Amino acid sequence: MVRKIGEQEFLSEAKAADAAVVDFNATWCGPCRMLAPVVEAVSEEMKGQVSFYSVDVDECPELAAEYRVQSVPCLVMMKKGEFVSQSIGFKPQPAIASWVKSNL
Amino acid sequence: MERYDIAIIGTGPAGLEAAVTAVIRNKKIILLGPEDLSRKLARAHEIRNYLGFPAVSGEELAGAFRGHLDRMGIGITAERVSAVYAMGDYFALQAGEEMIEAATVILATGVVQGKPLPGEEEALGHGVSYCATCDASLVRGKTVAVVAYSAAEESEAAFLSEICPEVLYFPMYAGTPALPENVRIIPEKVTALERPDGKMLVKTEKMDYPVEAVFVLRDAVAPGQLVPGLETEGAHVRVNRRMESSLPGLFACGDITGTPYQYIKAAGEGNIAALSAVSYLDERKRSN
Repeated sequence: MVRKIGEQEFLSEAKAADAAVVDFNATWCGPCRMLAPVVEAVSEEMKGQVSFYSVDVDECPELAAEYRVQSVPCLVMMKKGEFVSQSIGFKPQPAIASWVKSNL
Repeated sequence: MERYDIAIIGTGPAGLEAAVTAVIRNKKIILLGPEDLSRKLARAHEIRNYLGFPAVSGEELAGAFRGHLDRMGIGITAERVSAVYAMGDYFALQAGEEMIEAATVILATGVVQGKPLPGEEEALGHGVSYCATCDASLVRGKTVAVVAYSAAEESEAAFLSEICPEVLYFPMYAGTPALPENVRIIPEKVTALERPDGKMLVKTEKMDYPVEAVFVLRDAVAPGQLVPGLETEGAHVRVNRRMESSLPGLFACGDITGTPYQYIKAAGEGNIAALSAVSYLDERKRSN
């Protein structure tokens, strides 16, 4: 499951998780809408290993700036709050899954 | 939403032959591309190696193709496809504002002339963007540049000018752009994009322009950009003898798969791509 979060939960949950993937997106961005179900599927595939979150860049501009998100959709992978890797743009499910696994 | 068996993108010999073959095999198709058939085809002066037509002009051949489509009742949907998303068990095609769904896709868009600008791909997502609508909120209040390859992109620049105090517009086409006042039109040829210290630099033959972000907007997009995740070799899509690409259910044919750029080769590949798509659909039906 991918949980939509705001700044508060980002700090208290996403940054505290052993491994987290945060999907930075915007409601008006076509590729973001297409990537959402793909990320959802990967989150099911990796249940129990990685926590998945979704952040709307219009609602959280400071977070987007802090993580240097300059183009959406942008997936950010973190381990215990530390930035690990970034994946920009739409990618098919196998590519997203292998990106997550290679950074675990 | 209605889901097609096969979405065919491109109306050159490869796409048209794929459409004809798929319809003969009773598949539900949508054929997307320019309605005036391949503009490139109509431009060919004389073709001498298309079997059955010893000396035919591109225009005549296009006319014969049109007659073939009409006789089979195949219509063309004149929409430009800007992206193809591999969703797993189907594909979603962004055609204008609309989303089209298909179980398989045949790419027959021809070869895209023109390479990316030096430095463009390196800075993608880090100062270079291909989608003004998507990334506008991230550049609010900043100075941005638009490198535009056709007049159709002027509306994107106008949209950016509503949220950015200054927009530098580099038209890479002939003609006088019609744009709002706070868009500065710079009629200089862009030669490279650089990212020296976190900011972007647009380099032209004359000088360097520092900005926060650059939007590169093109009429025709490279195959790897059109289909995110697709394996390519330069301007071409990597395929095997069955015209299968690296993405299951997506096939490519014609000039987009590589040289020789010949009409008869394109048509032959269109035939293979359609038959491969048909067997892919049949296999999937059996395994369900």
